[in-house]
Amino acid sequence: MAWNEPGNKGQDPWGNKNGNDKGPPDLDEVFKNISKRFGGKGNGSGGGFSALGFVIVLGIAVVVWGLSGFYTVKEAEKGVALRFGQYIGQVEPGLQWKATFIDEVYPVNVSNVRSIPASGSMLTADENVVLVELDVQYIVVDPYRYMFSAVDANSSLREATDSALRYVVGHNKMDDILTTGRDQIRRDTWDEVNRIIEPYNLGIEIRDVNFLPARPPEEVKDAFDDAISAQEDEQRFIREAEAYSREIEPKARGTVQRMEQQANAYKQREILEARGKVVRFEQLLPEYKAAPEVTRNRLYIDAMSKVYSGANKVLVDAKSNGNMMYLPLDKLMEQGKSSKQPKTVVNDTSTDSVNSVVNSVGIPLDGRPSRSDNIRQGRN
Amino acid sequence: MGRLSVIIAAILIAIGLSSLLVVNEGERAIVSRFGKILKDDGVTRIYKPGLHIKLPLVDKIKLLDSRIQTMDGAADRFVTSEKKDLMVDSYVKWRIKDHEKYYLATNGGNKVQAESLLQRKINNDLRTEFGRRTIRDIVSGSRDELQQDALRNASDSAKDLGIEVVDVRVKQINLPANVSSSIYQRMRAERTAVAKEHRAQGREQSEIIRAKTDASVTIQIAEAERKALAVRGEGDAIAAKIYADAYNKDPEFYSFLRSLEAYKASFEGGSNVMVLEPDSDFFKYMKHANGK
Repeated sequence: MAWNEPGNKGQDPWGNKNGNDKGPPDLDEVFKNISKRFGGKGNGSGGGFSALGFVIVLGIAVVVWGLSGFYTVKEAEKGVALRFGQYIGQVEPGLQWKATFIDEVYPVNVSNVRSIPASGSMLTADENVVLVELDVQYIVVDPYRYMFSAVDANSSLREATDSALRYVVGHNKMDDILTTGRDQIRRDTWDEVNRIIEPYNLGIEIRDVNFLPARPPEEVKDAFDDAISAQEDEQRFIREAEAYSREIEPKARGTVQRMEQQANAYKQREILEARGKVVRFEQLLPEYKAAPEVTRNRLYIDAMSKVYSGANKVLVDAKSNGNMMYLPLDKLMEQGKSSKQPKTVVNDTSTDSVNSVVNSVGIPLDGRPSRSDNIRQGRN
Repeated sequence: MGRLSVIIAAILIAIGLSSLLVVNEGERAIVSRFGKILKDDGVTRIYKPGLHIKLPLVDKIKLLDSRIQTMDGAADRFVTSEKKDLMVDSYVKWRIKDHEKYYLATNGGNKVQAESLLQRKINNDLRTEFGRRTIRDIVSGSRDELQQDALRNASDSAKDLGIEVVDVRVKQINLPANVSSSIYQRMRAERTAVAKEHRAQGREQSEIIRAKTDASVTIQIAEAERKALAVRGEGDAIAAKIYADAYNKDPEFYSFLRSLEAYKASFEGGSNVMVLEPDSDFFKYMKHANGK
């Protein structure tokens, strides 16, 4: 029986279970050719093999067998060589030769960085649920162990990663996983995976573990988002308060300055006004000292005339008769209102004139004008 | 003649080939001759990888996988010590240790049977371990210890099967839906609390800053007012002194002048009515030209 006969895989002596049981295709052709040329039905030359023919066939078979043994191993690969199923060593990249039917070579890529993802929702130490994703990047360092120590090295690593990731997540608090402790978790997972796969002898080496940002589950995402925006709000409130301070403090300083200036101005004004009025009094005083009686009278009469001129008067000579009389005061008041008399103002600027002193309008002699202190109102 | 020789050759080749036994890496073979396992000095002959010779047609070969195998069942429901349900997905790594025992115990190396036996044992152990622990313990506390215990127990019981248990690991622990939803509610509540706290802290800080600002502004202005009043007072005092110094030279004359000013001021406006007797100084001359 031929070992490349179809439908005969189960009894294949090489025990190939992966179905890549492709005998060299050229061999089939060779056999066909041989049978056509030497053992074919249309060949009436005595039938059977002649000795020469047999040698030729054998020679061709050997050559074909020899040629079929050439194969190449790619730069990124190492070959695992088996002789009758037994491991005989590693094959380096390049053109190689093997004895067909005796040796088998399985190329294994040892440069390609493979990656295995792991993800899922997991419980944390504080009994919360997080969605975590990572991928483990690894290379094969020992092709023989990679192929023959476990049934499926890749899935073994995947299971180890799943287990390690959940173990690490289960020992960390959610806040750390979501924010600050990500690097620690990545390293812990890495260590844990290494610890798990060590006894499995997989012949692989983990090159990197990428821990993608963990997320809270969809069901609570909005609450988490709100917590994050609350942090922003916190900052915003503080900034707003600072802005308020920055706005109001200069204003206050301005107000303080204004008050100082106003007070100073008031002080200066009071002093200057006092001086001014005093100067007038002191100028008037010598005049008065020189002619007291006359000056006094004149001043008195001037003043009284001014007083009486602006008022309704009823002159009563009550000493001549003791009769009571009726004075319609309210009528008189109304009259007084309707017939307002304009105030006469005399402005005489000669300084040594008594007139000008008494009659100049607006500043009574004691210097407390009846008006607000608001300096902006000014004085004209 | 030639044809016969070809047939004989073919038969010889077939016999030759069928007396060869190739065992691959990752496999071991057990050979049974007439149903009886071949032994050397009472120890089962285990064929290692390589080329071996056997008797054709008579010897039956059983190839056994010697690699580490994974038994990964579906997630199973476990009950914790607080009587809560957990869905636990675990896997077991095992390899054949005692090939003969394995071969006998599993009905001629039947892997499915081996695994179902093993599965039952390990699930039993896990159930016991889980039942002793709380959820918190399982998730974050002694998961390692749990796995170790399960591994130890499993190893003991797997010896009967000729199996070495390399590892027992919990892959996933999931909560049933009702527990999940309560966890989500709690997470939500916690987050809401955190959010509220942040906002409240922000308001607190903001209030502190504003209050400090307001206070300092109030103090500044009060201080400024105090200074202003002092300055104004100074001004008043100086002015008063100036007035006093001047008017003290003739107080009587000053009060005379000031009174006149006051009269003028108080009778300003036309709404005054005076009822007078003409006997004041002002009307001195109204009756008599010489004022008598």
